[in-house]
Amino acid sequence: MRLLSRVAERLYWMARYLERAEDTARLLRSYTHLIMDIPAGSEPGWDVLLQTLDAQHSFGEHYRVANETNVLKFLIADHSNASSIAQSIRAARENVRTTRDVLPSEVWEHVNELYLYTEKHAANSVGRRNRHDFFDQLIGRCQMINGLMTSTLCRDHAYRFVKIGHLLERADMTTRVLDAGIGALMNEERNPSTTDPLVWASVLSSLSAMETYRRTVGPMVEGAEAVDFIFRDPTLPRSLRFCLGGIREELVPMRNNRNALRVINRSRRSLSRFDPQAAGRRDMHRFIDRFQANLLALGEEINVAWFLTDQA
Amino acid sequence: MKNTWKTYDTGPFYDELVTAAGKPRVAARRAVNLFKDLSVEEMSARRSAAEMAILDMGISFTVYSEGENIDRAWPFDMIPRIITAKDWARVSRGLAQRTRALNAFIDDVYNRQKILKDGIVPAETVLESGNYKEQCAGMSPRYGAWAHICGTDLVRDKDGKFYVLEDNLRVPSGVSYMLENREITKRVLPELFENYSIQPVDDYPSRLYSTLASLSPRERRRPCIVVLTPGIYNSAYFEHSFLARGMGAELVEGSDLFVDDDDCLYMRTVDGPERVDVVYRRIDDDFLDPEAFREDSILGVPGIMRAWKARNVAIANAPGAGVADDKVVYAFVPDMIRYYLKEEPAIDSVKTYLCMKEKDREYVLENLDKLVVKPANESGGYGMMVGPHASKTQRAKFAKLIEKNPRNYIAQPTLSLSTAPTYIDDKVEPRHLDLRPFILSGRDTWVTPGGLTRVAMVKGSLVVNSSQGGGSKDTWIVEGSK
Repeated sequence: MRLLSRVAERLYWMARYLERAEDTARLLRSYTHLIMDIPAGSEPGWDVLLQTLDAQHSFGEHYRVANETNVLKFLIADHSNASSIAQSIRAARENVRTTRDVLPSEVWEHVNELYLYTEKHAANSVGRRNRHDFFDQLIGRCQMINGLMTSTLCRDHAYRFVKIGHLLERADMTTRVLDAGIGALMNEERNPSTTDPLVWASVLSSLSAMETYRRTVGPMVEGAEAVDFIFRDPTLPRSLRFCLGGIREELVPMRNNRNALRVINRSRRSLSRFDPQAAGRRDMHRFIDRFQANLLALGEEINVAWFLTDQA
Repeated sequence: MKNTWKTYDTGPFYDELVTAAGKPRVAARRAVNLFKDLSVEEMSARRSAAEMAILDMGISFTVYSEGENIDRAWPFDMIPRIITAKDWARVSRGLAQRTRALNAFIDDVYNRQKILKDGIVPAETVLESGNYKEQCAGMSPRYGAWAHICGTDLVRDKDGKFYVLEDNLRVPSGVSYMLENREITKRVLPELFENYSIQPVDDYPSRLYSTLASLSPRERRRPCIVVLTPGIYNSAYFEHSFLARGMGAELVEGSDLFVDDDDCLYMRTVDGPERVDVVYRRIDDDFLDPEAFREDSILGVPGIMRAWKARNVAIANAPGAGVADDKVVYAFVPDMIRYYLKEEPAIDSVKTYLCMKEKDREYVLENLDKLVVKPANESGGYGMMVGPHASKTQRAKFAKLIEKNPRNYIAQPTLSLSTAPTYIDDKVEPRHLDLRPFILSGRDTWVTPGGLTRVAMVKGSLVVNSSQGGGSKDTWIVEGSK
């Protein structure tokens, strides 16, 4: 089936924004839990979230103090933050609105409902009391939309770009979830042995990977093992390896895919060479930075090869 | 049980379903009786069901207000308008005839200009009008068809006769609502269909597809057809998307298309450029091609006129077709029919006084209180004056305008638009309406059975536009009594 470049681009961004909203909710949910678990006085700051989401700069333009209320307001409900949950959902909806022709009508209906829900509840879900419910709803609704698309879309170009959008954003967000964990640990130097497992358990649970980790690796959560699992487990749908593999699978049958595949292969190689056991926290942080740069480059190659309207 | 029809009074107007004596017309009898048997509760339940169906089906139109776009649900009245197949056959023949003459006229104007040379239509009114596009001179599209999709507005006067009010030859809209109205009626009043044999309308998208496919410059089994929309913010976007889906065509925006050095039109897909054969464009001439028309247009496609003139792509409606969509030209359509087809018009136009003619002008100036005065080159009811409703100062103002620029004005007698029973609050009341059938011209000519009936929902009002509170009705063409 033929697919217009413009429509492909909108589908891809719809998927990225949905994934971004869901993963941000996952990250904030587990970070909130983590902070409640760490003894008062030694808990990491909320500014860690801004760093891992590369949002310090735009946050600074609107707020002075990076306290819990401000940071969460900015990440959940603030429409001036292009990556806030509310803004991501709004952007996803705008992209579906203009691609309704290639999607089953239920997709539009559910995305529209999700948008109405977010508009209504985001602002009053900043406080701890409502926050959890909001995240659960949001994640659940995003999952439903994903499930709907997985079970109804023909496996043609439209599906392909939805899938690539999801996986690319997910890989990026997975690195950020990890980075938040590492950031939390770096802030906390006094008592690493008691805090460590809590942080890694929080990271795993935000990726819905805790149970699988226990059954695959073991009940004790340990830093290097957890990182290895999240980076390289071939079966975990939120592992970096899984996401890259999925994107690659969709790129292979495409025309004009050389440059994008080159970036994918480069990322895959560097991922398999990386050794979490030997790496310190700073090495991990540096690796994550490099990995994110690769994903950015991949996004750019996709943009050039299939979206840019300059084929003439 | 409260009777919703008790006080129904047609007044001095022709009513579509009820005679002046208050009896249902023959073709409408079964329907009217069924409605009369429904209680207020049942009527309201059906109306809610219709509203739900409209929401579910996502039938909407976009209203731009205060910098925001609002998707409004489509306003619908569930009591159908019923026309007999016999009556319709005459109208339909008249519309096909009219459209043939209009296409012959456009083709003539851009080529030999015989009708102008023979003095049937004054040359300067055509050639000096902004609707004449010199960029189109010398072109002759396939089958001599320029206005491939024509939406003609009809009204019924007191005498029960149909008159053509105007011919929309540029980018007429509304056909999707005609189709959706039928869908809703089927859902909400299924029992009505048991007693009638109603001509189906839902093959419109495939008729449109065949018409467009017949224009393709390349002989292919499935030519590549696209619907060109100005985008999501256009009030008719729903329709653009509806028709694209109905035809299995691609819905494109200007930036999706480009013209290459070979003067062919391509669309940008993820598999690379793909050549386009036919463009069903829903943007105006002025925005179609910044190389040929307005330079500042970002909606159009640079070079598309070049591709069209090289006959590498068909454009529907053809650029320049609007030359026949003009209130002065309208007055000459009966003459065109006689001139090109050697036939008498099978459907009447409204008597039109051209202020550029001295005798007509005198009459108009003396009878301003009885006439509707319209500027020749405006559409959508802008800058017009309805004599019987106008103040003295307004009439004086228009008298001056006419004397200053007679060529710019036409006048017509005020028509009494027909009415039909419409469910308002919990009563059935008469409301004024018009009718827009659609005529397709390609290799063949085809007229929709019925069309889009628009209703002025406000009592006594003649404004049927959906943007101004107008509603719509399903329109039935029914076969003889069954």
